[in-house]
Amino acid sequence: MSDSLVAYLILAGVLFSIGTFGFLARRNAISMLMSIELMVNSVNLAIIAFGAFTKELQNDASVIALMVMAVAAAEATVGLAIVIAIYRNRRTPLVDEYDAMRQ
Amino acid sequence: MTMDPVLLAPLLAAAEGGAEGVSGGIYDTLIPLIPLLPMLGFLFTAAVGRRLGKRAHIVPVGLVIVSWLAAMVVVYAALTGQAPFGEHGHGVTLWRWIPAGADASTGFNVDVGLLVDNLTACLLIVVTTIGMLVHVYSIGYMAHDPGYWRFFAYLNLFMFSMLLLVMADNWLVVFVAWELVGLCSYLLIGFWYRKRSAALAAKKAFLVNRVGDVGFALGIMAIFVSLGTLDMRETFTRIGELPAATITLIALLLFCGAVGKSAQFPLHVWLPDAMEGPTPVSALIHAATMVNAGVYLVARANLIFSHAPEAMVVVAAIGIFTAILAASIAFTQTDIKRVLAYSTLSQLGYMFAALGVGAYVAAIFHLMTHGFFKGLLFLGSGSVIHAVHEEQDMRQMGGLSTKIRWTYATMLVGSLEIAGIPPLAGFFSKDEILGEAFKFGMYWVWIIGVIVAIMTAFYMFRLMGMTFWGSFRGPKAIWDKIHESPAVMVVPLVVLAVASALLGMFLGLPLGDSTIAHWLEPVFFESEELLGHTGAEYQLFGIDGVLILVSVTVAVLGMVAAWWLFGIRWLVFRRNPQPERVNAVAEANAVTRFLYRASLNKWWFDDLNHLLFIVIGGRVGAACWWFDRVVIDGTVNGIGGAVSGAGRALRQVQTGRVQNYALGIALGLLVMAGSYLIIVQR
Amino acid sequence: MPIPDTVPLLGIAWDDVLFIVLAAIVIVAGVLVVTMRDIIRCGLAMMVCFGALAGLYVMLGAPLVAAAQVIVYIGAISVLILFAIMLTQSKVAPVRLVFQTQAVPAAIAAVVLAIVIALAVSATEWPAVATRLWSTTNDVARVLFDDYLLAFEVVSVLLLAAVIGGIYLAKREGSSDS
Repeated sequence: MSDSLVAYLILAGVLFSIGTFGFLARRNAISMLMSIELMVNSVNLAIIAFGAFTKELQNDASVIALMVMAVAAAEATVGLAIVIAIYRNRRTPLVDEYDAMRQ
Repeated sequence: MTMDPVLLAPLLAAAEGGAEGVSGGIYDTLIPLIPLLPMLGFLFTAAVGRRLGKRAHIVPVGLVIVSWLAAMVVVYAALTGQAPFGEHGHGVTLWRWIPAGADASTGFNVDVGLLVDNLTACLLIVVTTIGMLVHVYSIGYMAHDPGYWRFFAYLNLFMFSMLLLVMADNWLVVFVAWELVGLCSYLLIGFWYRKRSAALAAKKAFLVNRVGDVGFALGIMAIFVSLGTLDMRETFTRIGELPAATITLIALLLFCGAVGKSAQFPLHVWLPDAMEGPTPVSALIHAATMVNAGVYLVARANLIFSHAPEAMVVVAAIGIFTAILAASIAFTQTDIKRVLAYSTLSQLGYMFAALGVGAYVAAIFHLMTHGFFKGLLFLGSGSVIHAVHEEQDMRQMGGLSTKIRWTYATMLVGSLEIAGIPPLAGFFSKDEILGEAFKFGMYWVWIIGVIVAIMTAFYMFRLMGMTFWGSFRGPKAIWDKIHESPAVMVVPLVVLAVASALLGMFLGLPLGDSTIAHWLEPVFFESEELLGHTGAEYQLFGIDGVLILVSVTVAVLGMVAAWWLFGIRWLVFRRNPQPERVNAVAEANAVTRFLYRASLNKWWFDDLNHLLFIVIGGRVGAACWWFDRVVIDGTVNGIGGAVSGAGRALRQVQTGRVQNYALGIALGLLVMAGSYLIIVQR
Repeated sequence: MPIPDTVPLLGIAWDDVLFIVLAAIVIVAGVLVVTMRDIIRCGLAMMVCFGALAGLYVMLGAPLVAAAQVIVYIGAISVLILFAIMLTQSKVAPVRLVFQTQAVPAAIAAVVLAIVIALAVSATEWPAVATRLWSTTNDVARVLFDDYLLAFEVVSVLLLAAVIGGIYLAKREGSSDS
């Protein structure tokens, strides 16, 4: 099983859907960001898995994964900064109370 | 508005004009002047009349008198056949009204022009003379009315319209004048507009006229569509080219207009109500001139009708039916003017019957004599009403012959005329109608005409008996104040009485070869040839004499019957009125009771119209309104409501929460991926 | 005693066991991240998940990435998240509802998504080699600073921008704000 690409990919897919569920269902904004991190990590796993099983992608996969990690870090930084800024304004971290765009 | 006709004289040679295209000289100025003067009078009086007060009549009456003089000059020249009139009259083209299309055959070019031929000349005599006398009469009759200036303005406008009508040489101009005349009728019937019944009567007259005018307009359109021209003379020359069905259709449509304007069945309902107007109006418009417009139209279009025998039968049938219908209603009316109104209807029916059997000359002859003696009767009744202080109900009158002698004498002459007693005018014209009807083989017209003659004599002398003979039935205070009318009113009466008495002999003699037949021969001789009516000799001691005897006898019978019931005090005849006898006759049996009630209710035609148009029409209108409101507006509003409701429902999706939108994205992604997998993998 | 080739009694290769254990940790930790009531505990579970993922990266022959995973994710991002949680704690008691009203549709969507991915992945013919490849740090560095130099520089600028942006957004507005 550890030698089958499909297993790793299915694992990545399951992790991704867990992250999706968390993103869609949690009320706290920080929880949503954590779910996003899970999703990014699942993508990373998939990339590394492809790199492990494809001769041409062997080194490139690592590079791509490093890039993804860097971008995810930047995104987490900015996202958290925004959440903190909104928290200061609204006094609540719960996203279902951020409904200023409602008709 | 009008270019100097003298300048246009050279154009006449090329365009319109008499039979020889001759320049008309003085007549080219006189002919347009005849309608122009009343028009100027109208404009002047309408503009400044209010400020002139009691003197407002000077300009309008003066202009009408001058117009009459001009008309008499023109008429004399026309009837004696002087140049440029010749046999077929002379026309003056004033200006091109509608230039629409350079090509004469496909364009729509309408010129305003006036044509005076012998028929127009006869009409001019009637219109201008009676018009002038009515204007003079009105000076006295309307003296106390605050709308004095308005009355003369409208009268002048009417004179203009009527003169334009009889002198126009183009169907479109006739139609314009036709409508103008209807307008003047509306204005004058509703002259006392504050009185509700007058306003309603004016509206009724206009609307009923309009119904006929629809047919007339359609007829004119049919003429244009089939012949491509609106010029009258060209129409008559070329009418023979069309198929018989088209000619019949055109004739019937033109007759529609005549039915409306001349108040024939079924559009007769407006004329009795039109008596709400002042008496001079009734005399001028509804006895002598406007209602004759229909007769004039049919007479002018005689060639069209002669080509369509079926149409002529319709004309005769409607005419004679109206005659007997109106005469039957006149039996029971108590308003003196209403009796005269129904009498007018009846005599108009005679004229249309004459036109329908092809006795054109007789119809025009009767038109002229009727104009005079009906005008006389109306003006006389106006004088009577004036004398008993605005009372129009004959049951409140009686015995007036001793008090208002001049009025009585002239009205007696008028009644004898309308009954058809020789040697007065009515005898000549009525006898000619009946004689021609019999000789052309239309016996049913003759029979009904004879019955109507009896009825006419009867109800006229009923009127005389109730008004002038017997004893006064009104309040004593009024009796003491009764006096003869002022000279301005009596003089026209006397003039009319004398003129009408002599007119008959002047026009109708010698019998069988009368002056008027000579005058009108060039106008009608083609039609008469078509119908095969030429050539019969007059047999005074043959059939014609018998017919004369019959008509005179029935007239005398009717007269005597009226004397027997309603009294007489004239010459050697003395009898007191017998009201109980009258009631006894009316109640004699079920038939007479029904007839009496039917006559009293005008044969329920007004009720029928009310039911049809106001009740049923109202229901139809209400149903349409319901449909419009509920179905159409409901649909439109419903669609609007559905749209805004859908919008309101869909707005729920916009929660403003990002996670809800993200769920939407996820679901969309799943659907797309899933369907891709399913469809592509298949 | 020599190490047996397969797990005694079960007969599964050691690699497979490792994979199964690490995968289980990843999934369980992930589920805990998204379902636990207390956010701090969610953050800690996330750390565990990242650690397991690092192990999986080692198994897949990318030791450099595994090291970076531990240093960056567990060492920096998770700490950052914990700090943010601390800054946005509300004083009230733990919220009544962990999940939104749309949790059920979200769960269904997630399950369906997982099924769709699994089906799609297993149905594809992957041109994969039989055993896992191992990439050395030398090779990775050569590729990184040779072929992907531009991306490397751009990412460093991106990180700079993110840092500046983060500082600016999270700054207090003026000293007069209470």
